[in-house]
Amino acid sequence: MDILETLDELVDETRRRLSDIAEEQALEALRIDVLGRKGRLSAIMGRLAELDPAERPKVGEKANAVKQACTDLIETRRKDIAARKEEEGLARFDPTLPGRAPWQGSLHPTTCVIDQLCGVFVSMGFKAVSGPEVEHDYYNFEALNMPAAHPARDMQDTLYITPTTLLRTHTSPVQIRSMLASPPPLAVIVPGKVYRRDSDLTHTPMFHQIEGLLVGEGVTMAHLRGTLTTFVQAVFGADTRIRFRPSFFPFTEPSAEVDISCKLCGGTGNCDGEPCRVCKTTGWVEILGCGMVDPAVFEAVDYPADVTGFAFGLGVERVAMLKYAINDLRMFFENDKRFLEQFL
Amino acid sequence: MLLSLSWLRDFTPYEGTAEALGDRLTMLGLELEDIRRPYAGISSIVVGHVVACEAHPDSDHLHLCQVDAAQGELLPIVCGAPNVAAGQKVAVALVGTKLPDGTVIKKAKLRGSPSHGMICSERELALSEGHGGILVLPEGFVPGARLVDCLKLDEEILDISVTPNRADCLSVLGLARETALAFGLPLTPPAVPAIEETEGPLPAIHIADPELCGLYSGRVVADITVAPSPMEVRFRLNAHGVRPISNIVDVTNWILLECGQPLHSFDLGRIRGDRIEVRRARPGETCVTLDGQERRLDPEDLCICDAERIVGLAGVMGGQNTEIVQESRAVFLESAVFKPESIRRTSRRLGLSSEASYRFERGVDQERTMLSLDRACAMMVSLSPGAVCRGLAVAQPGPFVPARMAFRPARVGALLGVSIEESFMEKVLQGTGCAVDRSDPVAWSVLQPSWRPDLTREADLVEEVARFHGMDTIPPAGPPVVGTSVEPGRHDFWAMIKRWGAGIGLNEVVNYSFVGHADLDHLGLPREGRISVLNPLSAEQDALRTVLAPGLLNTLRHNLAQGATGLRVFELANVFAPDDRDVSERATGVRETGTLGLLLYGSRHDAFWPHPAADMDYADARGLVEHLIATLHLPAPVFKAADGHPYLLPCVTVVCGDREIGHAGRVKPALADPFHARKDVWIVELNLDTLREEHAKATIVFRPLPGFPPVRRDITLVCTPDVQAGRIEAHLASLSLPLLAETALLDVYEPAGGPERHLTFRLTFRHPDRTLKDAEVDRLREEVAQSLAKLPGVHL
Repeated sequence: MDILETLDELVDETRRRLSDIAEEQALEALRIDVLGRKGRLSAIMGRLAELDPAERPKVGEKANAVKQACTDLIETRRKDIAARKEEEGLARFDPTLPGRAPWQGSLHPTTCVIDQLCGVFVSMGFKAVSGPEVEHDYYNFEALNMPAAHPARDMQDTLYITPTTLLRTHTSPVQIRSMLASPPPLAVIVPGKVYRRDSDLTHTPMFHQIEGLLVGEGVTMAHLRGTLTTFVQAVFGADTRIRFRPSFFPFTEPSAEVDISCKLCGGTGNCDGEPCRVCKTTGWVEILGCGMVDPAVFEAVDYPADVTGFAFGLGVERVAMLKYAINDLRMFFENDKRFLEQFL
Repeated sequence: MLLSLSWLRDFTPYEGTAEALGDRLTMLGLELEDIRRPYAGISSIVVGHVVACEAHPDSDHLHLCQVDAAQGELLPIVCGAPNVAAGQKVAVALVGTKLPDGTVIKKAKLRGSPSHGMICSERELALSEGHGGILVLPEGFVPGARLVDCLKLDEEILDISVTPNRADCLSVLGLARETALAFGLPLTPPAVPAIEETEGPLPAIHIADPELCGLYSGRVVADITVAPSPMEVRFRLNAHGVRPISNIVDVTNWILLECGQPLHSFDLGRIRGDRIEVRRARPGETCVTLDGQERRLDPEDLCICDAERIVGLAGVMGGQNTEIVQESRAVFLESAVFKPESIRRTSRRLGLSSEASYRFERGVDQERTMLSLDRACAMMVSLSPGAVCRGLAVAQPGPFVPARMAFRPARVGALLGVSIEESFMEKVLQGTGCAVDRSDPVAWSVLQPSWRPDLTREADLVEEVARFHGMDTIPPAGPPVVGTSVEPGRHDFWAMIKRWGAGIGLNEVVNYSFVGHADLDHLGLPREGRISVLNPLSAEQDALRTVLAPGLLNTLRHNLAQGATGLRVFELANVFAPDDRDVSERATGVRETGTLGLLLYGSRHDAFWPHPAADMDYADARGLVEHLIATLHLPAPVFKAADGHPYLLPCVTVVCGDREIGHAGRVKPALADPFHARKDVWIVELNLDTLREEHAKATIVFRPLPGFPPVRRDITLVCTPDVQAGRIEAHLASLSLPLLAETALLDVYEPAGGPERHLTFRLTFRHPDRTLKDAEVDRLREEVAQSLAKLPGVHL
């Protein structure tokens, strides 16, 4: 056959063969067979030497045209195959299959509360500090105006290590340690574990408290109210009302307990006509204790006589129970994964 | 403290509701706990008049009564009480009435006779334990009227929580004083009663330890007849939670509630030698208290003695040997003041708390001790046919000395941040009982009232002003900003680690700091070096943890019991050990070391698909440690096999730079078994204090990015089982080839049927200044390969 005919025939043959090809791999095999280094076109062109030199340019021109034609055919086919594959892929896509879940970590609810509360106070200029959990009687009681026979010690049943060392019953000893470590002004927030010799439905022998202390020039109970109002509204919502009720703590004078309006019943004392179980119909929930630092405490740390400051303390689990509507204190220390995973 | 409105009105004319009083007292710091309605169960009981009463023809004890209860007709009622009689006024439960015990009265027939109601006894009305017969009421009661109205029973009782500083509010009088001041009402304190004295005996008083007893007084009431108190006394005591006993003991309880002064009545006939001595117990002495318990005393305990023996524990409980009994004919009535610390100590030591000790511990009003005594005597002779004997037995070695306080009105504003009128301050201070001298306008001179042991300093007076002004009305002021250091502390570091843990997919847990010694024994931890709890709640909580493993394993057990198939948890907490480095006076002798614990168990992933199912192993534990260390910008850790760990096998120590930071390993299966672990349990424990110190030193230094592309070559080594991957890596590092930028383990393959392992490493070559040629890299790879092949147990 004439070489030019052979070249034309190669285009037809390629077109014919392409009609059977549906896969990328077979297409590539065809391309190599037709256009590859050792392919059909190369083989034909290998016969160029046999030709009359005068015919060669014409044949060469033809060969280029054939190569271009075959390439176009193959590339068109390639695009068709890719488009079909894409279409098939889209048809198979199942958006309802589950995701490849990474590990889901969590923070203990007490950590969540401590983080949030400390964050609020740090933004107000307090510094988060820690102190030892095993304390000397002096820091836990005596320096806080609770000498050995003080009836207020009954308020806190104590776990002792020795007759003079104990597991701290509150975070307040860190007040003393902080004031001994630096002169006024001072603003610290102290989260941490505390211990009481008490275990029942509503008490665990270990729990968490946050203590706050601010001492400075001209600090008054009005500042205490302002600080705690800011804090309560940041944590429980801007519509939360706050109530100061006089109380007694040996290390503050005057002392107050702070109630917030009940979140469950909105402060009405009733939920759909039923007595509110959270506030027991009073409309108020006790949230923390506070007061102006007692002069005896300032005396214990050698602060100037007329310096003023305020202190407050609250139970972290109690706040967590109110915030997250947890109804069983014991869950905090069972560490059930299904419980833990809910907090982050 | 329980308070009825009627008793309150004996001292101040409060006419409001119980709720309003409770709210006001709450906002004064005397928190209302509850409003009790002790007689709610008998509010529908009415007075009846027994018009006729005859014996039941078919019974030897029943009576057929006709009762007028203003019901339009006489009610036939069958009554079994022996004391029922015609003409009596009685308490009647009409048909349909529910009694306190839940019984509902119905029309009935008893032995054939109709009975339309019930005539009640005191016990049936829950008024007392008395069941000797029906309650017979005074003549003047009107049939059909409500019993609670006729008896003037206290229908509403406020239960008020009194803080330990307010000794004065453990009495009706004290609460009346607060009420009067709060509502602007007059206060009528109990009057000094006129006492008619007759001749009679009077014991001599001797106080051997004046330090512990500032005042001891007593009187004798003779010719008494011990009997039940009248109804109004019994029912009021009953409403206030006090069980009525007799016309003698009831009086002491009445005065205790009314004035806050504990009294004690001795049977004078059994006091020997006409003498009362107040002294400390002698070693080995015992005393049988009123509750029948024999108490072994020590020399710190104060006791009341007659000429021969102990007759009572001072301020805590009387002795059985001088208890008032039915036959008692004369009473020695004690009214005294004991040192609070001493009473508290004895009460705590013996685990014996009484209404008396509770008040003595908090402080009683010494100025009114003898007034209370006289009130009690007067009341006693009004209830019983006795007479008060002449004279007051008294010794007062330590009279009450009121504190004189300088009160600067300006200090109120400085502490409260609110402007308060000086006239209001004066009114409050006087209302609480202080004498106020304003001759110095800047610093008033204020005298403490004898009933307020808590008012001794200026700050205490400021609190009184704040209470009555209302702490809730102080306007909030913005928080004053106080400059503080921003240097991150221990809390901030722990918070960062917690966020790392939660962020990487671990669940934070919190376990108790205490464990049982048995838990530590189980893990093979040494006995020495532990901190014990002196008074643990239980044996499971008698030691402070020395490692975090026991708590983590308990967490595992709980979760496995709940059906978990995998667990990845972390905990940050202190572990405790003895510490003798600090020798200062207030050292605790305990070292607290911050520790991070990780526990990995079971399924690597919670979901089934698309993750391949597999259990967590050493690589997971180690990977987490490496990730944490990298997060803290510390040098890559080295893991060294460690022998002899008490509960981990295998176990590795983790070394970072030149410091050991902790260990990781698998809990020995035999030790994990009791926690129901059926798969490997991996635990990591790292020292947070060391990590924090190292992290504080770490800085981030930017390394310039390489300018030329890397060339990679893989190399597979066939190794005998004793060749560890780390050995190969160490060898590669020791070659110090400048162009070998990185080496990494690519794959571990353990072909079946042979002991060898195939370790494939990827070598990354890079030149800082030009692109490497293939041939050059092939030559370098060959060089490395030949060098590795010389290692024992390694061939290509």
